[in-house]
Amino acid sequence: MIALLTFAKDQTVGIARVLGLTLYYIVRGRTDRRVVLEQMWEIGNRSVFFVIVTLGFLGAILIFQTSFQSQRLFGDVSLVGPASLPLLCRQLGPALCGLMVATRVGTGIAAEIGSMVVTEQVDALRMSNAQPVDYLVKPRFYASLVMIPALSVIGVFTAWMAGLLVSTAVYHTNPSTYLNFGMVRASDAIEGLAKAVVFGATIPVIAAHSGLEARGGSEGVGAATTQAVVNSSLAVIALDFLIGGIAFVVKAA
Amino acid sequence: MSIEFLDIHKAFGTNKVLDGVTLTVEKGQIVFIIGKSGAGKSVLVKHLVGLIQQDAGRILFEGEDITHYTEREFFALRKRCAMVFQHSTLFDSMTLLENVALPIRKHKGLSHGDSLAAARDKLALVQMHEMAARFPADIGDGLRKRVAIARALTLDPEYVVFDEPTTGLDPVSAVRVDRLIRQMSDDTGVTSIVVSHDLRSIFGIADRIVMLYQGRIRLDGTPADFRGSDDPVVHQFVNGLPEGPMEL
Ligand SMILES: Nc1ncnc2c1ncn2[C@@H]1O[C@H](COP(=O)(O)OP(=O)(O)O)[C@@H](O)[C@H]1O
Ligand SMILES: [Mg+2]
Repeated sequence: MIALLTFAKDQTVGIARVLGLTLYYIVRGRTDRRVVLEQMWEIGNRSVFFVIVTLGFLGAILIFQTSFQSQRLFGDVSLVGPASLPLLCRQLGPALCGLMVATRVGTGIAAEIGSMVVTEQVDALRMSNAQPVDYLVKPRFYASLVMIPALSVIGVFTAWMAGLLVSTAVYHTNPSTYLNFGMVRASDAIEGLAKAVVFGATIPVIAAHSGLEARGGSEGVGAATTQAVVNSSLAVIALDFLIGGIAFVVKAA
Repeated sequence: MSIEFLDIHKAFGTNKVLDGVTLTVEKGQIVFIIGKSGAGKSVLVKHLVGLIQQDAGRILFEGEDITHYTEREFFALRKRCAMVFQHSTLFDSMTLLENVALPIRKHKGLSHGDSLAAARDKLALVQMHEMAARFPADIGDGLRKRVAIARALTLDPEYVVFDEPTTGLDPVSAVRVDRLIRQMSDDTGVTSIVVSHDLRSIFGIADRIVMLYQGRIRLDGTPADFRGSDDPVVHQFVNGLPEGPMEL
């Protein structure tokens, strides 16, 4: 138990250090726009199909189950489409996308950086006066900050559309009844986007930290990727809870 | 002028790697650091350029105490003391020329074009200029090592650390790399610290040999001292004997 707490503390301190350095180099260093674009392509390309498939199925399941309950309780499913959109925007979309992307993007970043560490390429960077955080983490940070919210928007849209398919096919809902934006408030969209942006900032930092901590040979890289998934998934869930709480308090005030 | 390691201790968790290493490297020599795999040779030399920080002990670089240098202070030192890593640490996404140009650009703040021109000269030094536009993945290990050496030489360092420069190379490439190290040392007077367990290199080009064993210096002397040593551990190592007192 003590060992676990110490480990958690070390991880948190380490992640905070990487975050601090990333922000420092964002303010101080120059940024190679080409590298950021490459990373954006890399992250988007690597995840877009995955996000569409997973969020599509999750959306279909969500709408099916909600409609099922709604049918049973109220004998009517006409509110399921409009009512699920705020939920998807605010909560399920960003959180599920965050978790999916944490595995997909997080492992990619941890494996790339981890293998550079164990093959001493990171040491070589330091010898060349190129700081690893500036050179490797910063471009991935920028890229994720843009791409993870973009993927979340795509994910929410896909989930809702998959729900539309289920709703019309199984419950014979009229598409115009389903496709009703009336229940979404600006605050839902803002909360969802805020979450996606925060995940976009944390996932690359956490994954990069795991990669930079990789030791030993290829087993070290494997352990680092696992660590990246565990840490970034935990962070997504904790931050989701935290931001949700803050939004609740802000709206109440 | 010299580099002095004074009573260096380093442990990773419970793994005690260096347990009081004291060593002086005189300028102009080729000093070999030898020892079995995992003896802590790489860990020791990485202290010199600030890639690893000691738990206890001091390091003097030409009389200056670098023990508590910050990363920024080490930048200046890394121009004077370069390192060729054990792995082929060329960046896969860059051409050979761009690989060599990176430290020039970063350390000297030269423009992209100027750094490429300077890099071309360094590649010529190791006879690799004709392959400048190729990528690391397209050439063999021996050639990659030459490019890594060229990259280390880009800033005209006074000291170069080679970490197992011949490990993993075929015998011919290995001898060529040895010859390159010797020739560099003779031509430019650069001080070379070579980490190795390649007996042929050790007795081929070393001026002085230091053996690391169980976290300490076991023997420090000339190749002749090593050949004549009656220390059973040294004897076993330099003769490559499978049986003997050396722990596994
Ligand atoms: N960054 C590190 N973190 C933890 N352990 C390390 C690190 N670097 C080296 N070690 C450990 O230190 C010991 C010596 O390693 P090293 O110096 O690489 O040996 P070698 O003499 O073969 O170069 C090994 O047990 C290795 O696992
Ligand atoms: Mg080594």
